[in-house]
Amino acid sequence: MPSGQPLPPKENSLFKRILRCYEQKQYKNGLKFAKQILSHPKFSEHGETLAMKGLTLNFLGRKDEAYEHVRRGLRNDLTSHVCWHVYGLLQRSDKKYDEAIKCYRNALKWEKDNIQILRDLSLLQIQMRDLEGYRDTRYQLFMLRPTQRASWIGYAMAYHLLNDHDMALKILETFRKTQMVSAPFDFEYSELLLYQNMVIQESGGVLDAIKHLDMYKENIFDKLTVLEIYGSLYLQMGEYHLATLCYEKLLRRNQENTPYYLMIKEAKQLHNDECVYNMLCGYRKKFPKALAPKRLCLTFASGNAFQSEIDSYLRAGFHKGVPPLFVDLRSLYKNKHKVQIIESLLEMYVNNLTKFSSFDSEDTSCKEPASALLWVYHYLAQHYDYLDDIQKALTYIDMAIAHTPTLIELFVTKGRIFKHAGDAYEAYKWLDEAQGLDTADRYINSKCAKYMLRANLIKEAEETCSKFTREGVSPMENLNEMQCMWFQTECALAYQRLGKWGDSLKKCHEVDRHFTEIIDDQFDFHTYCMRKMTLRSYVNLLRLEDVLRSHPFYFRVARCAIQVYLHIHDKPPTDASSSNELDTENLAPGQLKKMLNKQRKAQRKAQEEKAQALAAQEKRDMHKNRQQVTNTSDEADALPLDELLPEKLERVEDPLEQSIKFLKPLQELASDNIETHLMAFEIYYRKDKLLLMLQSIKRSHRICPDHPMFHSCLIRFMEKLLKLDNIQEEMQLVLNKQLEPILGGMSAAEINSQFLNKHQKSLPALVQGLKMKYKLDNSSQQEVLDQITKLDDSLEDVNIQTCTDILNSLINGEFGEVGDAAEEYRKTCYKRFPLATAFHTDQDRSPMAFWSNSYKTLNETHDNCVSN
Amino acid sequence: MNIRCAKPDDLMNMQHCNLLCLPENYQMKYYFYHGLSWPQLSYVGEDEKGNIVGYVLAKMEEDCEDNPHGHITSLAVKRSHRRLGLAQKLMDQAARAMVECFQAKYVSLHVRKSNRAALNLYTNTLKFTISEIEPKYYADGEDAYAMKKDLSHFTLLCADDEIPSSDSLSSAMKKIEIDS
Repeated sequence: MPSGQPLPPKENSLFKRILRCYEQKQYKNGLKFAKQILSHPKFSEHGETLAMKGLTLNFLGRKDEAYEHVRRGLRNDLTSHVCWHVYGLLQRSDKKYDEAIKCYRNALKWEKDNIQILRDLSLLQIQMRDLEGYRDTRYQLFMLRPTQRASWIGYAMAYHLLNDHDMALKILETFRKTQMVSAPFDFEYSELLLYQNMVIQESGGVLDAIKHLDMYKENIFDKLTVLEIYGSLYLQMGEYHLATLCYEKLLRRNQENTPYYLMIKEAKQLHNDECVYNMLCGYRKKFPKALAPKRLCLTFASGNAFQSEIDSYLRAGFHKGVPPLFVDLRSLYKNKHKVQIIESLLEMYVNNLTKFSSFDSEDTSCKEPASALLWVYHYLAQHYDYLDDIQKALTYIDMAIAHTPTLIELFVTKGRIFKHAGDAYEAYKWLDEAQGLDTADRYINSKCAKYMLRANLIKEAEETCSKFTREGVSPMENLNEMQCMWFQTECALAYQRLGKWGDSLKKCHEVDRHFTEIIDDQFDFHTYCMRKMTLRSYVNLLRLEDVLRSHPFYFRVARCAIQVYLHIHDKPPTDASSSNELDTENLAPGQLKKMLNKQRKAQRKAQEEKAQALAAQEKRDMHKNRQQVTNTSDEADALPLDELLPEKLERVEDPLEQSIKFLKPLQELASDNIETHLMAFEIYYRKDKLLLMLQSIKRSHRICPDHPMFHSCLIRFMEKLLKLDNIQEEMQLVLNKQLEPILGGMSAAEINSQFLNKHQKSLPALVQGLKMKYKLDNSSQQEVLDQITKLDDSLEDVNIQTCTDILNSLINGEFGEVGDAAEEYRKTCYKRFPLATAFHTDQDRSPMAFWSNSYKTLNETHDNCVSN
Repeated sequence: MNIRCAKPDDLMNMQHCNLLCLPENYQMKYYFYHGLSWPQLSYVGEDEKGNIVGYVLAKMEEDCEDNPHGHITSLAVKRSHRRLGLAQKLMDQAARAMVECFQAKYVSLHVRKSNRAALNLYTNTLKFTISEIEPKYYADGEDAYAMKKDLSHFTLLCADDEIPSSDSLSSAMKKIEIDS
């Protein structure tokens, strides 16, 4: 149904010109024509013109006016599909997709067969994963435009995404039959066939998929994918001979693909390492230049075979000088026996190279280049670093540097040794040295910046990065624009260590916004891929975007944000600048509280005013910028985000609610990581949400019942349950029933002593057990202190982080008044980890700020997995 | 080390590798654009933990239909993984895919005039030749060498790659066929 306010011919033609101007992005002209209509007193409230004027204003960056006009237009003409469509477009440009969908639906009520609106609606539906809605809309488009290719594809894809493979395949096959293969090389047809095959495979039709390939493989140019599909299908069917043939063909294309060799192992049904080793030796001979079979031989060889294999592998590496030799072999270190063999070979090489310039003792004529010894030293340094023998690691790296003082890799290794030894500052010094030797290499530059951030030198890191960021923009800004997540995450962590909570949160939110932006990025590909026919990749993109925040980058930054919000909850910021701490020692508790309250109020007010002023300024700037760019770019519809202000961020009213926003994606996408549930517990513990605490407890328990932090959470949960006396009866019943399998009828004290008994050798477990012991019974202080400060060789998993955690707990009074115990413990740790700055006294050196909380141990273990 | 064709899941890690190694960076959308337009052309090298240690991000130049050719948008190998020949292996895979899937006649790329190391790699190891100088190609005003490499030798290689078909299926599988 058309508008309720028809225009006479003259105005109507003006209106059409507005539409044309909008399509051609001539927004200024569009406004001119709109004015001509609206200035006529009879049409000053003409709905569709007002709406179009609003939409045009939006593209000129005048968002508020845009909304005002569009809404007014709609009010004046509620039965116009144009007004509704325009309102939908406006909301969409604001990324309010749900709202936009509603508007399109209203528009379709008045004009149900409008192709443009249906298309726009389908895009939003797929973006929001309203798959049923998407299917219905695609059906309508299909019925209205049955001759268009996109109609078929979109319709089939909707069924595919809903896992209705049969229907999807029917549509695809009917469509395929209509496709005339025009050119000898038809990439789109080739992609269509591969997509069809993907759907067949997902429907479970292994044999059908094979037949499909048999039939159409001549028309598919992506021979690699065809072979890979054949290989995996034959393997699934137990057609081992054919599978082997496929993977051997694949190896002829690419000898460096490790899985191909493993698939052949599978296909040849080799279950014994020696047989695999023999097979690999065959391929090594066949492909003498390939690295993969050589390396895989080392994994599957054992005993004497390993000894001779690794011997020649190492010799070749040292002879040529391959810097990544150690990282290449590192995974062999899981096997202690292999480590032994490697170590004795290395010692032999050092000896022989020093005396005879050869890997062998004297009677050989084959002299090695001088650099061979250098690479052996370098390897040994990494070898001992890995084995936590800092002394030897440093000795060898110094020998290497003495041998060749200009090799960058050596300085990087030396820095890494110091990092592992607990001296982030010294580590950075060596990376800086490395960076100075090759300022044109961004990799070294990035590593150096990362080490600076580990040493909390944020300004310096930014300065370092600026050598490779665009000129004229601040490096921080440019790195943010380029979505440089590693840098921003390391900044967030550095600010966290420095206690600059607001700055840390700012960086966390910046990274979070990258994820949001990357999810928005898929929007344009909904139409693009249907045109390009790259449907397999498109479906994989959709599946990737569905779980985007499962990326380890998100986990790291979310954990940081959650920890900071928890801290802000526990210790709300008291002063405008965090460094300006109050002298509160001499105040009585009541006085202090009053004073803090007053201060907090005043600050909040000041902050709000400041934030408002900034926001206003921001808006003005935005406006100005927009006006400059509108004529050249149609990106003006990008949503201006609220500026992230550190002062505002650290003074949020509801830090726990904020932390939950970071937790939710983890609960959905990282639920197999126990840390997710431990963090959830910490949040809900502070909110007194019993059932949610119970949920976190149960989930953690399922993943790892012996995890030290889980134990801590469990005991604190039990304590909390005892202390709360207003738990409803039904709730109590639920809790009892659910906790029974975990507690087995024991009390907190019983569970704790059981835990301590079970894990008396593991320091991280002991720490948590003993903390709980003291918490449950303050009179155990002396006993707890004696045990926790013991640091003898019988203990396992002793590391810098755990010891730092203990030291900080002693200092922070977690065990009450402990006298000299903290200082004594520091000295003990210092002996054990002489380089770790955490155990140096203030006078010792390096202006490092140290900070720790109970998560730190977890933090570091995780970080090492991610970043090294 | 493992070399394989890049999947959409790899694109974010390629961006990470790019940001660590190279001065020319791109937002994720540009990586998506490559991965979704020419899914066959980009390759990654990964270590045993699955970290990307090198990649080649490649595309087809679409404007010249009668003379199709590929283009290397970005190629990087982490400094920590040099001297393994990764760059060459990545490039060979990408070049082959360009010929096979898109009938590329040659592949082109740009390199900073000042980047001696890269120039050396492209000229000596990868056998590219300089085709022209593009003044002020880079955002900071530096000139670029436009380089090219002929790919006609790949055409022969590709022809010889017949695929084992299921004609020779064993009897066990034929049985499944009858049962179903």
